Amino acid sequence: MEFAIFFLFAAIAVIFALVVVLHRNPVVGALSLVASFFALAVMYVLLEAPFLAALQVIVYAGAIMVLFLFVIMLLNLQHMAEPPTRPIQQFLGYTASAAFGIGLIYFLIKYAIFTKLPDTPFHADARTIGIRLFEAYVFPFEMVSILLLAAIVGALFLSGKSAKEARS
Amino acid sequence: MIPTHYFLVLSAVLFTIGVMGVLTRKNGITIFMSIELMVNAVNLTFIAYARQFHQVDGLLFVFFIMAIAAAEAAVGLAIFISLFHHRDTIDVDEANLMHW
Repeated sequence: MEFAIFFLFAAIAVIFALVVVLHRNPVVGALSLVASFFALAVMYVLLEAPFLAALQVIVYAGAIMVLFLFVIMLLNLQHMAEPPTRPIQQFLGYTASAAFGIGLIYFLIKYAIFTKLPDTPFHADARTIGIRLFEAYVFPFEMVSILLLAAIVGALFLSGKSAKEARS
Repeated sequence: MIPTHYFLVLSAVLFTIGVMGVLTRKNGITIFMSIELMVNAVNLTFIAYARQFHQVDGLLFVFFIMAIAAAEAAVGLAIFISLFHHRDTIDVDEANLMHW
């Protein structure tokens, strides 16, 4: 049963990821990426991390992808035809990524086969994560909050009108 | 219980698809979405290893990666909006203002 769910949602994740990469229309790509992220959230549940599955749905599928869709629609990109890529770039890109993927999976199968899991169950609920986060990882947590503030300021600065434009 | 290497192989496949998108596409937004795909593949690896070795730290790394990905998406999309205002396109080949 677990294996059936795993293979079903793994197939969904991979197929929608391929749609993101191969489809010409960025709106279709963004919506496919949302579907792929939902399938990954199912993977997190199978890995006994329900808290991160919820975060995946809320933060990735909910917030980040909505930001992408807003930008695509704000710039009206859904009608814009993407110029064709040069054949040499296509060829080199597909060859290099295929070689990379084959190498990655070869070394995974060679070195990272785990035949058994630990016997005791892994409790990774919000409580465990929260205690660890606010004990050992308080400093990185605060740094992330500063980083987010800097990102807000940077995004406003980059996307807003420059002072010269605003005056004219 | 599904063995850990199943998740690792799935993660490798998703990461490879992301690499393919970055290398072959010209649309800036699509390249950005491919990068998000790669980040998610790495998150899956972190969670799979966290369960294999019973380390909560792996889950916390995923937590931080999500926060940093949000910041990265905000700044990156702002850069694309700025590029679109200057060049009326988000084709990354047109972004050659700092070309030597």
